[in-house]
Amino acid sequence: MPKKIRILIAKPGLDGHDRGAKVVARALRDAGMEVIYTGLRQTPEDIVEAAIQEDVDAIGLSSLSGAHMALLPEVVKLLRKRKAADILVAAGGIIPDEDVRKLKKAGIKAVFGPGTPLAEIVEFFRSAAQ
Amino acid sequence: MKIVDQLREGDKRAAAKLISMIEDDDPGATAALAEIFPHTGKAHIVGLTGPPGVGKSSLINRLVREYRERSKKVGVVAVDPTSPFTGGAVLGDRIRMADTGSDPGVFIRSMATRGHSGGLALATFDAVKVLDAYGMDIVFVETVGAGQSEVDIASRAHTTVVVQMPQSGDSVQALKAGILEIGDIYVVNKMDLGGGDTMASNLDFMLEERQGWRPPVVQTAALDGRGTKELADALTKHYRFLKRGPLWRGREADRARKELFESMRHLLAETFSDDTAGIGFEETVGAIVARKTDPRTAARKLLKGLKLPR
Repeated sequence: MPKKIRILIAKPGLDGHDRGAKVVARALRDAGMEVIYTGLRQTPEDIVEAAIQEDVDAIGLSSLSGAHMALLPEVVKLLRKRKAADILVAAGGIIPDEDVRKLKKAGIKAVFGPGTPLAEIVEFFRSAAQ
Repeated sequence: MKIVDQLREGDKRAAAKLISMIEDDDPGATAALAEIFPHTGKAHIVGLTGPPGVGKSSLINRLVREYRERSKKVGVVAVDPTSPFTGGAVLGDRIRMADTGSDPGVFIRSMATRGHSGGLALATFDAVKVLDAYGMDIVFVETVGAGQSEVDIASRAHTTVVVQMPQSGDSVQALKAGILEIGDIYVVNKMDLGGGDTMASNLDFMLEERQGWRPPVVQTAALDGRGTKELADALTKHYRFLKRGPLWRGREADRARKELFESMRHLLAETFSDDTAGIGFEETVGAIVARKTDPRTAARKLLKGLKLPR
């Protein structure tokens, strides 16, 4: 049996807009992946803990609250601390261009803004799992 | 094996990786499982089953907290269906278990049903063994109780909990085969909805003592935590009843019998799905299509010259 790709989709922070996260979860499922969806209002600690227990290949974080600079790099940092830096992190949501550069510098592998074709996101996670 | 040593030392990541190896049918999984097997058999395994949306995950979330307060380490294996069309799955049971957060004494794993050749129960209970060897005192296995394989999983636990909710069908629904026979404990969840008392007394009326155990009906509301303590007490009571009673050895033998049989079937299925075994599986398929032989005769013939994978 080939190794299944497992992805964690999580929403850090306090905004309750999870439509985007669900659309992505569904697209990944339809691409044959196993998606662990953890729901709203997760702390970076919760997210990293779940990623480790679920042994995922990558994490997709959705942020629409504007708190991305506070929360997203923290996830990468905690993964490193837990010796799980091989789990890649991508982000999606409303994130200004100047922050995209900073996030990438902080170790976020990709940032998907509004209007990104789902195929592109699926492809990112597929190659992230290799 | 290194991964087993790490697991025994309490490395969460090692436990998680080992479960993935089992799920992916990794060749190393068999050796690792052999190594952890002597360290298993310590955890109380509780199966929870019931229709989708009845509140199983929320109930487990409450139970996890209750058992943490009782200083027990808790594992959860939550099984959700794989799409038969794409092979993908969305596993959402963690949503309802979010408030256990990063508690080091809790390990929650979501599993998709996948297309397990040797039966889903085998992979699920191998994952349970990992959590058992990892040092968990109690492990919950959650399945959607809609089909035979789920009932099979639930009945493989020490204690099987059947979860129902009010306003979900009349008393005849409960008479349907399976429901009344598999549970050691019955739960009417969502008592906050109203109508739960009738449901509970209907259930209670129909349950009978089996081998010295009369299944209790526990009323809960996972929403506000009502009944959680009573349910945890009922679980402990049932486990004690089993462990101290005459049924324990028989049940253990039953479980071992099922696992041995399933492991044999798994090996066979692996042999056939992997045509490198060179037994002429595909040629036989052609012969059946051409009506030169029939499936039953061909099966006997193929099994005669069978070589198992190493």
